[in-house]
Amino acid sequence: MTARLRLDALSVCYGAITALDGVSLEVGAGEAVALLGANGAGKSTLLNAVIGLVPSAAGVVSLDGVALTGRAVHRRAALGLGYCPEGRRVFPGMTVYDNLAVASPRAKRAREEAIARQFALFPALADKAYDRAWQLSGGQQQMLAIARALMTEPRVLLLDEPSLGLAPLLAQEMLAHVRAIAASGTAVLLAEQNVATALAVTQRAYVLQVGRVVESGPSAALRTSPAIQAAFLGA
Amino acid sequence: MSLIQLLINTVALGAAYALVALGFVWVLNATAAVNFSHGDLVMAGGFATLALAGWLAPLMPGGVPGLVLLPLVVIAMAGVGLLVSLLAYFPLKDRPPVAVFISTIALGIVLANGATALFGAEPRATPPLLQSGFLELGGVIVGRQALAVIVVAALLIAGQHVLFAHTQLGRKLRATAQDRAMAAALGIPVTLMIALTFALATALAGAAGLLLSHSFFVTPSDGLNYMIKAYIAVTIGGWGSLLGAVAGAFLIASFDVFLPGLPALVPALGALPGADWLFSQTVASIVLYVLLLAILVLRPHGLFGEAVQRRA
Repeated sequence: MTARLRLDALSVCYGAITALDGVSLEVGAGEAVALLGANGAGKSTLLNAVIGLVPSAAGVVSLDGVALTGRAVHRRAALGLGYCPEGRRVFPGMTVYDNLAVASPRAKRAREEAIARQFALFPALADKAYDRAWQLSGGQQQMLAIARALMTEPRVLLLDEPSLGLAPLLAQEMLAHVRAIAASGTAVLLAEQNVATALAVTQRAYVLQVGRVVESGPSAALRTSPAIQAAFLGA
Repeated sequence: MSLIQLLINTVALGAAYALVALGFVWVLNATAAVNFSHGDLVMAGGFATLALAGWLAPLMPGGVPGLVLLPLVVIAMAGVGLLVSLLAYFPLKDRPPVAVFISTIALGIVLANGATALFGAEPRATPPLLQSGFLELGGVIVGRQALAVIVVAALLIAGQHVLFAHTQLGRKLRATAQDRAMAAALGIPVTLMIALTFALATALAGAAGLLLSHSFFVTPSDGLNYMIKAYIAVTIGGWGSLLGAVAGAFLIASFDVFLPGLPALVPALGALPGADWLFSQTVASIVLYVLLLAILVLRPHGLFGEAVQRRA
């Protein structure tokens, strides 16, 4: 079986600095996989390289066996990559409704149905449908960013630090959605610093340290791994 | 001249300026760069109208009305807008914004001198939208062209509002303007959206050129004047705000038309010592620019503030 998302020896360089050094990983359909690491370990760089916002220096990213090399960002999104960035990056001057609608590749009726599904999933957004996105609280903006990514009907969802800056209870709630999204058949790659919660909602995890995978395995097993401690506290 | 006439003339000019300012803001928002050729594109719209009127003259010996030319000018200028983006924006898009500022200044100079070479430096008038002359409405004499300009500009402004606020294409254009990388990551073809923004903005500039060049004539050197008007409208209204740009355009028009026209309306003002000097275009300009400085000092974000605020 081919993995839904597969990275083969992916490297990214910023000038002379190697930010990602030959990273290989796989995420299967319906699987939630955590990408753990301290600040600067390369988690965001990896997600940005997958969606194409950062050029890769070497290696291949493939989606259902199709290499994405050389494809523009919007083509990758159209092929089935959903992207929910660090810092949410909702369109601040647009309403919640427009933020969702703009991400839909569908015609009007199917688009409306998809928006209704997101509102059912995140009822707090339904109440704010015609508020501008900048007026939302941080938690609501995060829900909007996830819902917006789901509007593209992704086969793979790239989630970058969805719990960042949220109160612990909200962070838990956000990460609980990850499990539900994966259960619906979408492959989820979740970059997180919130290790305990991320391991609780994923099946497998990779640990990044200065641009390399230093450990990987089932999330349950990694909870007690010394590599996790090292990745977050060590060099 | 009655108050109604004066108001209609002011609104007509303000509406045409609003078309100029709106297109300028779209490109500003979409590219974070100033298109300094925007005023020259208004001028080019005036000459495109003249050229098309000349070509169509054999078909319509009685004179080609502006209303017939309008859709042609809009389409032709949309094409010019695509060319502007290809020549002056896309090759420089990853450079600092000042590069686009310079490249569009250069393009504006090319347009101005191109127009001189093709049409000569003398002022020319484009055909009226329907007819020139005056119309009596309930005992008030009003200019036909001014009324027609108001109707056409209002329809174009309403049309752009519907496009941007209520269509999926409009949402994509706005999303691209607000966060280009994020828009691309959602599958929106942002390069195409930016090219379309240039096309739409230039089409509106061209329409404004057609509307303005009947009453106010068109000369190849008009670009700078329109450019400065757009720039000021946008600064007064709030950098990046569409509503602000329209409001700014009407404020400028009132200084262009309304203030110098006041003595005709209130004869007592004309009798004041120095009235000729006080109610002149020159003094109106001085007052307008002093007002601009005051707004910059007192409300640096413009009258309509920032359309968007960010949460920490």
